[in-house]
Amino acid sequence: MYKVVTGVVGNDIHVVANRLIDISLQARGFEVFNLGVNTYLEEFIDAVVETDADVLLISSLNGEAEGWCRELQFLMAEYELKDVTFVIGGNLSVGESKDEDLVKKYQSYGFDLVFHQIELNDGLDQLEEFLGKKS
Amino acid sequence: MTLHQKERQIIVKNQYVDSFDFDEIEEFIRSASKDLFISHKFKNSDTTLVQPRGGFPTYQKQFELYEEFEKADIDVMPLTIDSHTRLNDYGSAKKMLDLSEANEVDMLNGYPLVNHGYRTTRKMTTHFNRPVSLRHGTPDARLLIETALASGIFEIEGGPITYLLPYSKNFPLDKAFLYWKYVERVCADYSRLNEPINRESFGPLTATLVPPCVTIVIQLLEMLLSLEEGVKSFSVSFAQSGSVTQDAVMANVIRKMADFYAKKIGIEDATINLVYHQWMGAFPRNKEFSDSLINSSSFIARLVRADKIIIKTRDESFGIPTMQCNAQSVANTKYTFRVLKGLPLIIDEEEEENLTKEVHSIMEAVFNDSADTLWRKVFNSIKNGIIDVPFSPHVINHNNVITIRDEHSNIRIIERGNMPISDDCLTYEKSKVKLSEDKTAVINKIIEDIGVMHE
Repeated sequence: MYKVVTGVVGNDIHVVANRLIDISLQARGFEVFNLGVNTYLEEFIDAVVETDADVLLISSLNGEAEGWCRELQFLMAEYELKDVTFVIGGNLSVGESKDEDLVKKYQSYGFDLVFHQIELNDGLDQLEEFLGKKS
Repeated sequence: MTLHQKERQIIVKNQYVDSFDFDEIEEFIRSASKDLFISHKFKNSDTTLVQPRGGFPTYQKQFELYEEFEKADIDVMPLTIDSHTRLNDYGSAKKMLDLSEANEVDMLNGYPLVNHGYRTTRKMTTHFNRPVSLRHGTPDARLLIETALASGIFEIEGGPITYLLPYSKNFPLDKAFLYWKYVERVCADYSRLNEPINRESFGPLTATLVPPCVTIVIQLLEMLLSLEEGVKSFSVSFAQSGSVTQDAVMANVIRKMADFYAKKIGIEDATINLVYHQWMGAFPRNKEFSDSLINSSSFIARLVRADKIIIKTRDESFGIPTMQCNAQSVANTKYTFRVLKGLPLIIDEEEEENLTKEVHSIMEAVFNDSADTLWRKVFNSIKNGIIDVPFSPHVINHNNVITIRDEHSNIRIIERGNMPISDDCLTYEKSKVKLSEDKTAVINKIIEDIGVMHE
Protein backbone atom coordinates (compact mmCIF):
# COMPACT_ATOMS: atom_id res chain seq x y z
CA MET A 1 0.00 0.00 0.00
CA TYR A 2 1.44 3.36 -1.03
CA LYS A 3 1.54 6.12 1.56
CA VAL A 4 0.58 9.62 0.41
CA VAL A 5 0.97 12.92 2.18
CA THR A 6 -1.40 15.52 0.76
CA GLY A 7 -2.69 19.01 1.49
CA VAL A 8 -3.20 22.48 0.07
CA VAL A 9 -0.13 24.70 0.03
CA GLY A 10 0.13 28.24 1.39
CA ASN A 11 -2.63 30.63 2.43
CA ASP A 12 -5.15 28.68 0.41
CA ILE A 13 -8.39 27.57 2.04
CA HIS A 14 -9.85 25.56 -0.89
CA VAL A 15 -10.96 22.55 1.08
CA VAL A 16 -13.36 20.85 -1.33
CA ALA A 17 -10.68 19.57 -3.68
CA ASN A 18 -8.61 18.57 -0.67
CA ARG A 19 -11.37 16.38 0.78
CA LEU A 20 -12.14 14.86 -2.60
CA ILE A 21 -8.49 14.00 -3.14
CA ASP A 22 -8.45 12.44 0.31
CA ILE A 23 -11.50 10.20 -0.19
CA SER A 24 -10.54 9.35 -3.80
CA LEU A 25 -7.04 8.25 -2.79
CA GLN A 26 -8.53 6.13 -0.01
CA ALA A 27 -10.98 4.54 -2.43
CA ARG A 28 -7.99 3.65 -4.65
CA GLY A 29 -6.29 1.93 -1.73
CA PHE A 30 -3.71 4.55 -0.75
CA GLU A 31 -2.90 5.25 2.88
CA VAL A 32 -3.58 8.97 3.18
CA PHE A 33 -2.07 11.54 5.54
CA ASN A 34 -4.09 14.66 4.87
CA LEU A 35 -2.64 17.87 6.32
CA GLY A 36 -5.64 19.87 5.10
CA VAL A 37 -5.60 23.44 3.87
CA ASN A 38 -3.14 26.25 4.75
CA THR A 39 -0.12 23.96 4.82
CA TYR A 40 3.44 25.17 4.36
CA LEU A 41 6.09 23.38 2.35
CA GLU A 42 8.19 22.63 5.44
CA GLU A 43 5.19 20.95 7.07
CA PHE A 44 4.73 18.75 4.00
CA ILE A 45 8.37 17.69 4.04
CA ASP A 46 8.25 17.00 7.79
CA ALA A 47 5.20 14.78 7.27
CA VAL A 48 6.86 12.92 4.39
CA VAL A 49 9.88 12.18 6.59
CA GLU A 50 7.75 11.25 9.58
CA THR A 51 5.40 8.89 7.72
CA ASP A 52 8.04 7.57 5.30
CA ALA A 53 5.63 8.43 2.49
CA ASP A 54 5.98 7.28 -1.11
CA VAL A 55 4.14 10.22 -2.59
CA LEU A 56 3.78 13.90 -1.76
CA LEU A 57 0.71 15.29 -3.49
CA ILE A 58 0.44 19.06 -3.13
CA SER A 59 -2.58 20.92 -4.41
CA SER A 60 -3.16 24.61 -4.95
CA LEU A 61 -6.22 26.38 -6.23
CA ASN A 62 -5.63 30.06 -5.75
CA GLY A 63 -2.52 30.02 -7.91
CA GLU A 64 0.00 30.93 -5.23
CA ALA A 65 1.80 27.55 -5.41
CA GLU A 66 4.65 28.95 -7.43
CA GLY A 67 5.77 31.24 -4.66
CA TRP A 68 5.84 28.36 -2.18
CA CYS A 69 7.18 25.52 -4.29
CA ARG A 70 10.42 27.00 -5.57
CA GLU A 71 11.99 25.89 -2.30
CA LEU A 72 11.21 22.23 -2.97
CA GLN A 73 14.49 21.51 -4.78
CA PHE A 74 16.51 22.79 -1.80
CA LEU A 75 14.48 20.83 0.75
CA MET A 76 14.73 17.68 -1.40
CA ALA A 77 18.51 17.93 -1.39
CA GLU A 78 18.64 18.67 2.32
CA TYR A 79 16.54 15.65 3.32
CA GLU A 80 17.71 13.32 0.50
CA LEU A 81 14.17 12.49 -0.56
CA LYS A 82 15.18 10.63 -3.73
CA ASP A 83 12.57 7.87 -3.65
CA VAL A 84 9.55 10.08 -3.07
CA THR A 85 7.27 10.89 -6.01
CA PHE A 86 6.41 14.58 -6.02
CA VAL A 87 3.09 15.61 -7.51
CA ILE A 88 1.46 18.99 -7.78
CA GLY A 89 -1.99 19.69 -9.14
CA GLY A 90 -4.80 22.18 -9.29
CA ASN A 91 -4.81 25.68 -10.62
CA LEU A 92 -1.12 26.42 -10.83
CA SER A 93 -0.93 29.97 -12.10
CA VAL A 94 -2.55 33.30 -11.37
CA GLY A 95 -4.15 34.36 -14.63
CA GLU A 96 -3.89 32.45 -17.88
CA SER A 97 -0.76 30.66 -18.88
CA LYS A 98 0.41 27.92 -21.27
CA ASP A 99 0.31 24.38 -19.91
CA GLU A 100 3.67 23.31 -21.33
CA ASP A 101 5.47 26.32 -19.82
CA LEU A 102 3.94 25.56 -16.43
CA VAL A 103 4.84 21.87 -16.56
CA LYS A 104 8.48 22.69 -17.38
CA LYS A 105 8.66 25.27 -14.63
CA TYR A 106 7.34 22.95 -11.93
CA GLN A 107 9.50 20.06 -13.17
CA SER A 108 12.50 22.30 -12.70
CA TYR A 109 11.44 22.75 -9.06
CA GLY A 110 11.58 18.95 -8.63
CA PHE A 111 8.03 17.73 -9.33
CA ASP A 112 7.65 14.42 -11.19
CA LEU A 113 4.03 15.00 -12.17
CA VAL A 114 2.40 18.36 -12.82
CA PHE A 115 -1.37 18.57 -13.31
CA HIS A 116 -2.66 22.01 -14.26
CA GLN A 117 -6.47 22.16 -14.46
CA ILE A 118 -6.84 18.41 -15.01
CA GLU A 119 -9.74 16.23 -13.85
CA LEU A 120 -9.00 14.61 -10.50
CA ASN A 121 -9.45 11.02 -11.67
CA ASP A 122 -7.31 11.54 -14.78
CA GLY A 123 -4.56 12.86 -12.55
CA LEU A 124 -4.86 9.95 -10.12
CA ASP A 125 -4.86 7.45 -13.02
CA GLN A 126 -1.61 9.00 -14.23
CA LEU A 127 -0.18 8.86 -10.72
CA GLU A 128 -0.98 5.15 -10.43
CA GLU A 129 0.56 4.50 -13.85
CA PHE A 130 3.70 6.43 -12.88
CA LEU A 131 4.07 4.50 -9.62
CA GLY A 132 3.50 1.22 -11.45
CA LYS A 133 6.34 1.95 -13.89
CA LYS A 134 8.62 3.14 -11.12
CA SER A 135 8.39 -0.05 -9.06
CA MET B 1 -17.86 53.36 32.18
CA THR B 2 -19.12 49.82 31.56
CA LEU B 3 -16.81 46.99 30.64
CA HIS B 4 -18.27 46.98 27.13
CA GLN B 5 -17.50 50.69 26.70
CA LYS B 6 -13.97 50.16 27.96
CA GLU B 7 -13.48 47.35 25.48
CA ARG B 8 -14.68 49.62 22.68
CA GLN B 9 -12.15 52.30 23.66
CA ILE B 10 -9.37 49.71 23.49
CA ILE B 11 -10.51 48.17 20.19
CA VAL B 12 -10.50 51.47 18.29
CA LYS B 13 -7.03 52.43 19.53
CA ASN B 14 -4.85 51.07 16.80
CA GLN B 15 -1.85 52.49 14.98
CA TYR B 16 -3.63 52.18 11.62
CA VAL B 17 -6.74 54.01 12.79
CA ASP B 18 -7.47 57.72 13.25
CA SER B 19 -9.05 58.52 16.57
CA PHE B 20 -12.71 57.54 16.99
CA ASP B 21 -15.10 60.28 18.06
CA PHE B 22 -17.95 58.20 19.50
CA ASP B 23 -20.15 61.23 20.29
CA GLU B 24 -19.90 62.45 16.73
CA ILE B 25 -20.59 58.93 15.37
CA GLU B 26 -23.74 58.63 17.49
CA GLU B 27 -24.93 61.99 16.25
CA PHE B 28 -24.23 60.94 12.65
CA ILE B 29 -26.24 57.72 13.01
CA ARG B 30 -29.08 59.48 14.83
CA SER B 31 -29.53 61.95 11.99
CA ALA B 32 -28.51 59.68 9.08
CA SER B 33 -30.76 59.46 6.02
CA LYS B 34 -33.30 56.61 6.20
CA ASP B 35 -32.18 55.62 2.69
CA LEU B 36 -28.92 54.32 4.14
CA PHE B 37 -30.77 51.71 6.18
CA ILE B 38 -31.62 48.45 4.45
CA SER B 39 -34.02 47.69 7.32
CA HIS B 40 -36.00 50.73 6.17
CA LYS B 41 -35.84 49.61 2.55
CA PHE B 42 -37.05 46.10 3.43
CA LYS B 43 -40.11 47.60 5.14
CA ASN B 44 -41.00 49.69 2.11
CA SER B 45 -40.32 47.21 -0.68
CA ASP B 46 -42.58 44.51 -2.10
CA THR B 47 -40.04 42.95 -4.42
CA THR B 48 -36.69 41.19 -4.08
CA LEU B 49 -33.83 43.65 -3.53
CA VAL B 50 -30.78 43.17 -5.73
CA GLN B 51 -27.24 43.17 -4.38
CA PRO B 52 -24.03 42.20 -6.19
CA ARG B 53 -20.58 41.72 -4.66
CA GLY B 54 -17.78 44.22 -5.08
CA GLY B 55 -14.75 45.75 -3.45
CA PHE B 56 -11.67 47.49 -4.88
CA PRO B 57 -8.59 48.61 -2.94
CA THR B 58 -8.66 52.34 -3.66
CA TYR B 59 -11.33 54.88 -2.75
CA GLN B 60 -11.29 56.12 -6.33
CA LYS B 61 -12.08 52.72 -7.88
CA GLN B 62 -14.71 51.89 -5.26
CA PHE B 63 -16.36 55.22 -6.05
CA GLU B 64 -16.33 54.43 -9.78
CA LEU B 65 -17.84 51.00 -9.09
CA TYR B 66 -20.66 52.65 -7.15
CA GLU B 67 -21.22 55.06 -10.04
CA GLU B 68 -21.67 52.07 -12.37
CA PHE B 69 -24.04 50.41 -9.90
CA GLU B 70 -26.02 53.62 -9.53
CA LYS B 71 -26.61 53.69 -13.30
CA ALA B 72 -28.05 50.15 -13.01
CA ASP B 73 -30.39 51.41 -10.26
CA ILE B 74 -28.96 49.04 -7.70
CA ASP B 75 -30.93 48.39 -4.48
CA VAL B 76 -28.10 47.51 -2.12
CA MET B 77 -24.44 48.47 -2.59
CA PRO B 78 -21.86 45.89 -1.55
CA LEU B 79 -18.62 46.62 0.24
CA THR B 80 -16.39 43.57 0.04
CA ILE B 81 -13.37 43.66 2.34
CA ASP B 82 -9.85 42.47 1.36
CA SER B 83 -8.37 39.30 2.81
CA HIS B 84 -5.62 40.98 4.91
CA THR B 85 -8.20 43.04 6.78
CA ARG B 86 -10.25 39.87 7.32
CA LEU B 87 -7.25 38.48 9.19
CA ASN B 88 -6.75 41.75 11.13
CA ASP B 89 -3.45 42.33 9.29
CA TYR B 90 -3.86 46.07 8.74
CA GLY B 91 -0.14 46.53 8.14
CA SER B 92 -0.12 44.37 5.01
CA ALA B 93 -3.40 45.92 3.90
CA LYS B 94 -1.84 49.37 4.13
CA LYS B 95 1.24 48.33 2.18
CA MET B 96 -0.89 46.82 -0.58
CA LEU B 97 -3.21 49.81 -0.59
CA ASP B 98 -0.23 52.14 -1.05
CA LEU B 99 1.04 50.00 -3.94
CA SER B 100 -2.42 49.96 -5.52
CA GLU B 101 -2.65 53.73 -5.31
CA ALA B 102 0.86 54.27 -6.71
CA ASN B 103 0.66 51.82 -9.62
CA GLU B 104 -3.02 51.64 -10.54
CA VAL B 105 -2.86 47.86 -10.16
CA ASP B 106 -5.22 46.19 -7.69
CA MET B 107 -3.04 44.59 -5.05
CA LEU B 108 -5.97 43.69 -2.77
CA ASN B 109 -9.09 41.61 -3.38
CA GLY B 110 -11.35 44.10 -1.60
CA TYR B 111 -11.66 47.48 0.11
CA PRO B 112 -9.40 47.88 3.20
CA LEU B 113 -12.02 49.69 5.24
CA VAL B 114 -10.03 50.03 8.46
CA ASN B 115 -7.14 51.69 6.62
CA HIS B 116 -9.39 54.07 4.70
CA GLY B 117 -11.14 54.96 7.94
CA TYR B 118 -14.70 56.04 8.63
CA ARG B 119 -14.28 59.74 7.92
CA THR B 120 -13.25 59.04 4.32
CA THR B 121 -15.62 56.14 3.66
CA ARG B 122 -18.62 58.00 5.05
CA LYS B 123 -18.19 60.60 2.29
CA MET B 124 -18.81 57.85 -0.25
CA THR B 125 -21.79 56.19 1.46
CA THR B 126 -23.58 59.48 2.07
CA HIS B 127 -22.84 60.66 -1.48
CA PHE B 128 -24.64 57.66 -3.03
CA ASN B 129 -27.28 57.54 -0.27
CA ARG B 130 -28.20 53.87 -0.78
CA PRO B 131 -27.92 51.04 1.72
CA VAL B 132 -24.47 49.47 1.88
CA SER B 133 -23.91 45.87 2.96
CA LEU B 134 -20.60 44.85 4.50
CA ARG B 135 -19.27 41.55 3.13
CA HIS B 136 -16.15 40.21 4.77
CA GLY B 137 -15.42 36.82 6.44
CA THR B 138 -13.69 38.07 9.57
CA PRO B 139 -13.71 36.03 12.80
CA ASP B 140 -12.62 39.05 14.87
CA ALA B 141 -14.55 41.86 13.19
CA ARG B 142 -14.79 44.23 16.15
CA LEU B 143 -12.73 47.10 14.73
CA LEU B 144 -14.04 46.50 11.21
CA ILE B 145 -17.66 46.76 12.34
CA GLU B 146 -17.02 49.86 14.49
CA THR B 147 -15.52 51.44 11.37
CA ALA B 148 -18.35 50.25 9.11
CA LEU B 149 -21.15 51.58 11.30
CA ALA B 150 -19.35 54.90 11.73
CA SER B 151 -19.07 55.03 7.92
CA GLY B 152 -22.83 54.71 7.38
CA ILE B 153 -22.77 51.00 6.50
CA PHE B 154 -25.89 49.70 8.21
CA GLU B 155 -25.96 46.07 7.16
CA ILE B 156 -23.38 43.70 8.59
CA GLU B 157 -23.01 40.21 7.18
CA GLY B 158 -21.46 37.29 9.03
CA GLY B 159 -21.49 35.46 12.30
CA PRO B 160 -19.33 33.34 14.56
CA ILE B 161 -20.21 30.07 12.80
CA THR B 162 -20.84 31.08 9.20
CA TYR B 163 -17.72 33.24 8.94
CA LEU B 164 -15.50 30.67 10.60
CA LEU B 165 -16.37 27.09 9.62
CA PRO B 166 -16.17 27.69 5.84
CA TYR B 167 -13.09 29.92 5.91
CA SER B 168 -10.67 29.01 8.68
CA LYS B 169 -8.60 25.98 9.62
CA ASN B 170 -7.79 26.76 13.24
CA PHE B 171 -9.08 30.13 14.46
CA PRO B 172 -10.54 29.30 17.93
CA LEU B 173 -14.31 29.03 17.66
CA ASP B 174 -14.97 30.08 21.26
CA LYS B 175 -13.13 33.34 20.64
CA ALA B 176 -15.18 33.93 17.50
CA PHE B 177 -18.39 33.66 19.55
CA LEU B 178 -17.18 36.31 21.99
CA TYR B 179 -15.94 38.66 19.26
CA TRP B 180 -19.29 38.41 17.49
CA LYS B 181 -21.14 39.00 20.76
CA TYR B 182 -19.38 42.36 20.82
CA VAL B 183 -20.50 43.05 17.24
CA GLU B 184 -24.13 42.19 18.06
CA ARG B 185 -24.10 44.52 21.06
CA VAL B 186 -22.68 47.43 19.09
CA CYS B 187 -25.27 46.86 16.33
CA ALA B 188 -28.04 46.62 18.93
CA ASP B 189 -26.95 49.83 20.68
CA TYR B 190 -26.85 51.86 17.46
CA SER B 191 -30.22 50.39 16.42
CA ARG B 192 -31.88 52.45 19.14
CA LEU B 193 -30.85 55.74 17.53
CA ASN B 194 -32.56 55.56 14.13
CA GLU B 195 -33.78 52.68 11.94
CA PRO B 196 -32.38 49.31 13.09
CA ILE B 197 -29.01 48.04 11.91
CA ASN B 198 -29.58 44.84 9.94
CA ARG B 199 -27.49 41.78 10.67
CA GLU B 200 -27.29 39.04 8.06
CA SER B 201 -26.06 35.48 8.44
CA PHE B 202 -24.08 33.74 5.70
CA GLY B 203 -26.20 30.72 4.77
CA PRO B 204 -24.15 29.28 1.90
CA LEU B 205 -21.48 28.01 4.36
CA THR B 206 -19.13 25.83 2.27
CA ALA B 207 -21.61 25.86 -0.64
CA THR B 208 -20.81 22.19 -1.09
CA LEU B 209 -23.67 19.72 -0.63
CA VAL B 210 -24.64 21.19 2.75
CA PRO B 211 -27.89 19.48 3.78
CA PRO B 212 -30.82 21.90 4.34
CA CYS B 213 -31.22 20.98 8.02
CA VAL B 214 -27.62 22.03 8.77
CA THR B 215 -28.04 25.33 6.91
CA ILE B 216 -31.29 26.12 8.72
CA VAL B 217 -30.06 25.17 12.19
CA ILE B 218 -27.00 27.40 11.81
CA GLN B 219 -29.14 30.25 10.46
CA LEU B 220 -31.49 29.95 13.42
CA LEU B 221 -28.68 29.81 15.98
CA GLU B 222 -26.89 32.86 14.61
CA MET B 223 -30.23 34.66 14.52
CA LEU B 224 -30.90 33.78 18.17
CA LEU B 225 -27.40 34.82 19.26
CA SER B 226 -27.99 38.15 17.56
CA LEU B 227 -31.53 38.73 18.83
CA GLU B 228 -30.58 37.87 22.39
CA GLU B 229 -28.12 40.80 22.34
CA GLY B 230 -30.87 43.16 21.18
CA VAL B 231 -30.60 43.22 17.36
CA LYS B 232 -34.04 44.02 15.87
CA SER B 233 -33.55 43.32 12.17
CA PHE B 234 -31.97 40.09 10.98
CA SER B 235 -31.66 38.29 7.66
CA VAL B 236 -31.41 34.53 7.43
CA SER B 237 -30.03 33.27 4.15
CA PHE B 238 -29.31 30.23 2.04
CA ALA B 239 -27.84 29.52 -1.36
CA GLN B 240 -29.43 27.93 -4.40
CA SER B 241 -29.29 24.21 -3.67
CA GLY B 242 -29.53 22.86 -7.20
CA SER B 243 -33.12 21.68 -6.78
CA VAL B 244 -36.04 24.09 -7.16
CA THR B 245 -38.20 21.99 -4.83
CA GLN B 246 -35.55 21.93 -2.14
CA ASP B 247 -35.13 25.72 -2.39
CA ALA B 248 -38.87 26.23 -1.97
CA VAL B 249 -38.99 23.79 0.94
CA MET B 250 -36.05 25.49 2.65
CA ALA B 251 -37.59 28.95 2.25
CA ASN B 252 -40.91 27.87 3.74
CA VAL B 253 -39.34 25.97 6.62
CA ILE B 254 -36.74 28.59 7.51
CA ARG B 255 -39.42 31.30 7.68
CA LYS B 256 -41.62 29.27 10.00
CA MET B 257 -38.71 28.13 12.16
CA ALA B 258 -37.28 31.65 12.49
CA ASP B 259 -40.60 32.89 13.90
CA PHE B 260 -40.96 29.86 16.12
CA TYR B 261 -37.51 30.06 17.71
CA ALA B 262 -37.50 33.87 18.07
CA LYS B 263 -40.75 33.52 20.05
CA LYS B 264 -39.27 30.63 22.01
CA ILE B 265 -36.63 32.97 23.46
CA GLY B 266 -39.27 35.62 24.04
CA ILE B 267 -38.63 37.96 21.12
CA GLU B 268 -41.61 39.16 19.09
CA ASP B 269 -40.57 42.61 17.89
CA ALA B 270 -37.71 41.70 15.53
CA THR B 271 -38.03 41.68 11.75
CA ILE B 272 -36.66 38.59 10.04
CA ASN B 273 -35.84 38.76 6.33
CA LEU B 274 -34.93 36.03 3.87
CA VAL B 275 -31.91 36.35 1.58
CA TYR B 276 -31.24 34.06 -1.38
CA HIS B 277 -27.77 33.55 -2.87
CA GLN B 278 -27.44 32.72 -6.54
CA TRP B 279 -25.47 29.51 -7.17
CA MET B 280 -22.35 29.56 -4.96
CA GLY B 281 -20.59 26.52 -6.40
CA ALA B 282 -18.43 26.29 -9.48
CA PHE B 283 -19.82 28.16 -12.48
CA PRO B 284 -19.66 27.07 -16.11
CA ARG B 285 -16.62 28.35 -18.00
CA ASN B 286 -18.96 29.64 -20.66
CA LYS B 287 -20.30 33.15 -20.17
CA GLU B 288 -23.58 32.57 -21.98
CA PHE B 289 -24.30 29.51 -19.85
CA SER B 290 -23.42 31.57 -16.79
CA ASP B 291 -26.03 34.12 -17.85
CA SER B 292 -28.57 31.31 -18.04
CA LEU B 293 -27.65 29.96 -14.64
CA ILE B 294 -27.88 33.45 -13.11
CA ASN B 295 -31.25 33.98 -14.71
CA SER B 296 -32.62 30.70 -13.40
CA SER B 297 -31.38 31.63 -9.91
CA SER B 298 -33.19 34.95 -10.13
CA PHE B 299 -36.35 33.11 -11.07
CA ILE B 300 -36.09 30.90 -7.98
CA ALA B 301 -35.45 33.90 -5.74
CA ARG B 302 -38.78 35.37 -6.81
CA LEU B 303 -40.49 32.00 -6.61
CA VAL B 304 -39.50 31.64 -2.95
CA ARG B 305 -40.34 35.32 -2.27
CA ALA B 306 -36.86 36.22 -1.06
CA ASP B 307 -36.51 39.72 0.37
CA LYS B 308 -33.06 40.10 -1.18
CA ILE B 309 -30.91 38.28 -3.68
CA ILE B 310 -27.13 38.28 -3.84
CA ILE B 311 -26.04 37.91 -7.41
CA LYS B 312 -23.13 36.59 -9.43
CA THR B 313 -21.75 37.66 -12.80
CA ARG B 314 -20.96 35.90 -16.08
CA ASP B 315 -17.26 36.32 -15.19
CA GLU B 316 -17.63 34.17 -12.05
CA SER B 317 -15.34 31.34 -13.17
CA PHE B 318 -12.68 33.76 -14.44
CA GLY B 319 -12.02 35.94 -11.38
CA ILE B 320 -13.10 39.37 -10.16
CA PRO B 321 -15.56 40.85 -12.67
CA THR B 322 -15.08 44.23 -14.30
CA MET B 323 -17.25 47.07 -12.97
CA GLN B 324 -19.26 47.15 -16.18
CA CYS B 325 -19.91 43.41 -16.14
CA ASN B 326 -20.97 43.57 -12.51
CA ALA B 327 -23.35 46.47 -13.11
CA GLN B 328 -24.78 44.73 -16.18
CA SER B 329 -25.61 41.73 -13.98
CA VAL B 330 -27.52 44.03 -11.61
CA ALA B 331 -29.48 45.51 -14.51
CA ASN B 332 -30.24 42.03 -15.93
CA THR B 333 -31.53 40.72 -12.61
CA LYS B 334 -33.69 43.81 -12.09
CA TYR B 335 -35.12 43.29 -15.58
CA THR B 336 -35.87 39.62 -14.83
CA PHE B 337 -37.72 40.67 -11.67
CA ARG B 338 -39.76 43.26 -13.57
CA VAL B 339 -41.00 40.71 -16.08
CA LEU B 340 -41.60 37.79 -13.68
CA LYS B 341 -45.19 38.10 -12.56
CA GLY B 342 -47.73 35.72 -11.10
CA LEU B 343 -45.36 33.02 -9.92
CA PRO B 344 -47.10 30.16 -8.11
CA LEU B 345 -46.21 29.30 -4.53
CA ILE B 346 -44.60 25.87 -4.29
CA ILE B 347 -45.47 23.82 -1.24
CA ASP B 348 -44.35 20.23 -0.68
CA GLU B 349 -45.84 19.13 2.63
CA GLU B 350 -44.03 15.81 2.90
CA GLU B 351 -40.62 17.40 2.37
CA GLU B 352 -41.41 20.29 4.70
CA GLU B 353 -42.49 17.92 7.43
CA ASN B 354 -39.31 15.86 7.18
CA LEU B 355 -37.06 18.93 7.17
CA THR B 356 -38.95 20.48 10.08
CA LYS B 357 -38.45 17.31 12.13
CA GLU B 358 -34.72 17.26 11.39
CA VAL B 359 -34.32 20.91 12.36
CA HIS B 360 -36.26 20.46 15.61
CA SER B 361 -34.20 17.40 16.61
CA ILE B 362 -30.90 19.19 16.14
CA MET B 363 -32.14 22.39 17.82
CA GLU B 364 -33.43 20.36 20.75
CA ALA B 365 -30.05 18.67 21.18
CA VAL B 366 -28.33 22.08 21.14
CA PHE B 367 -30.72 23.51 23.74
CA ASN B 368 -30.30 20.40 25.88
CA ASP B 369 -26.54 20.85 26.13
CA SER B 370 -25.62 21.38 29.75
CA ALA B 371 -23.75 24.69 29.23
CA ASP B 372 -25.20 27.83 30.82
CA THR B 373 -25.30 30.19 27.82
CA LEU B 374 -26.53 29.74 24.28
CA TRP B 375 -23.16 30.41 22.65
CA ARG B 376 -21.51 27.75 24.82
CA LYS B 377 -24.26 25.27 23.94
CA VAL B 378 -23.67 25.97 20.26
CA PHE B 379 -19.91 25.73 20.70
CA ASN B 380 -20.24 22.34 22.41
CA SER B 381 -22.65 21.13 19.76
CA ILE B 382 -20.18 21.87 16.98
CA LYS B 383 -17.41 20.25 18.98
CA ASN B 384 -19.55 17.12 19.50
CA GLY B 385 -20.58 16.89 15.86
CA ILE B 386 -24.26 17.57 16.64
CA ILE B 387 -23.75 20.28 14.05
CA ASP B 388 -21.49 19.08 11.23
CA VAL B 389 -20.83 21.12 8.08
CA PRO B 390 -19.71 19.06 5.07
CA PHE B 391 -16.41 20.23 3.60
CA SER B 392 -15.52 22.65 6.38
CA PRO B 393 -11.73 23.13 6.61
CA HIS B 394 -11.93 23.83 10.35
CA VAL B 395 -10.25 21.39 12.73
CA ILE B 396 -13.22 21.46 15.14
CA ASN B 397 -15.70 20.28 12.49
CA HIS B 398 -16.35 16.53 12.43
CA ASN B 399 -16.80 16.05 8.66
CA ASN B 400 -18.67 12.81 9.23
CA VAL B 401 -21.89 13.81 7.53
CA ILE B 402 -22.02 12.62 3.92
CA THR B 403 -24.55 13.86 1.40
CA ILE B 404 -25.36 13.09 -2.21
CA ARG B 405 -27.97 14.26 -4.75
CA ASP B 406 -31.08 12.28 -5.62
CA GLU B 407 -32.50 12.03 -9.14
CA HIS B 408 -34.18 15.45 -8.78
CA SER B 409 -30.94 16.98 -7.55
CA ASN B 410 -32.14 17.30 -3.94
CA ILE B 411 -29.30 17.06 -1.41
CA ARG B 412 -29.82 13.93 0.71
CA ILE B 413 -28.03 12.75 3.86
CA ILE B 414 -26.58 9.25 3.54
CA GLU B 415 -24.34 9.35 6.65
CA ARG B 416 -25.54 11.40 9.63
CA GLY B 417 -22.36 11.25 11.75
CA ASN B 418 -23.25 12.52 15.24
CA MET B 419 -26.14 14.63 14.02
CA PRO B 420 -29.18 13.72 16.12
CA ILE B 421 -31.72 13.30 13.32
CA SER B 422 -34.18 10.46 13.88
CA ASP B 423 -33.95 7.05 12.22
CA ASP B 424 -37.22 7.83 10.43
CA CYS B 425 -35.80 11.02 8.93
CA LEU B 426 -32.60 9.28 7.86
CA THR B 427 -34.59 6.44 6.32
CA TYR B 428 -36.66 9.00 4.42
CA GLU B 429 -33.51 10.73 3.11
CA LYS B 430 -31.86 7.47 2.10
CA SER B 431 -35.00 6.14 0.44
CA LYS B 432 -34.65 8.88 -2.17
CA VAL B 433 -31.25 7.75 -3.48
CA LYS B 434 -30.04 4.59 -5.16
CA LEU B 435 -26.46 4.10 -4.03
CA SER B 436 -23.90 2.06 -5.93
CA GLU B 437 -22.03 -0.67 -4.03
CA ASP B 438 -18.75 0.50 -5.57
CA LYS B 439 -17.01 3.08 -3.34
CA THR B 440 -15.24 4.86 -6.21
CA ALA B 441 -18.56 5.16 -8.05
CA VAL B 442 -20.13 6.83 -5.00
CA ILE B 443 -17.21 9.28 -4.78
CA ASN B 444 -17.47 10.02 -8.48
CA LYS B 445 -21.16 10.70 -8.00
CA ILE B 446 -20.35 13.10 -5.12
CA ILE B 447 -17.81 14.90 -7.32
CA GLU B 448 -20.42 15.18 -10.07
CA ASP B 449 -22.99 16.40 -7.56
CA ILE B 450 -20.72 19.16 -6.30
CA GLY B 451 -20.02 20.43 -9.80
CA VAL B 452 -23.62 20.00 -10.86
CA MET B 453 -23.72 23.37 -12.69
CA HIS B 454 -20.30 22.98 -14.27
CA GLU B 455 -20.04 22.52 -18.03
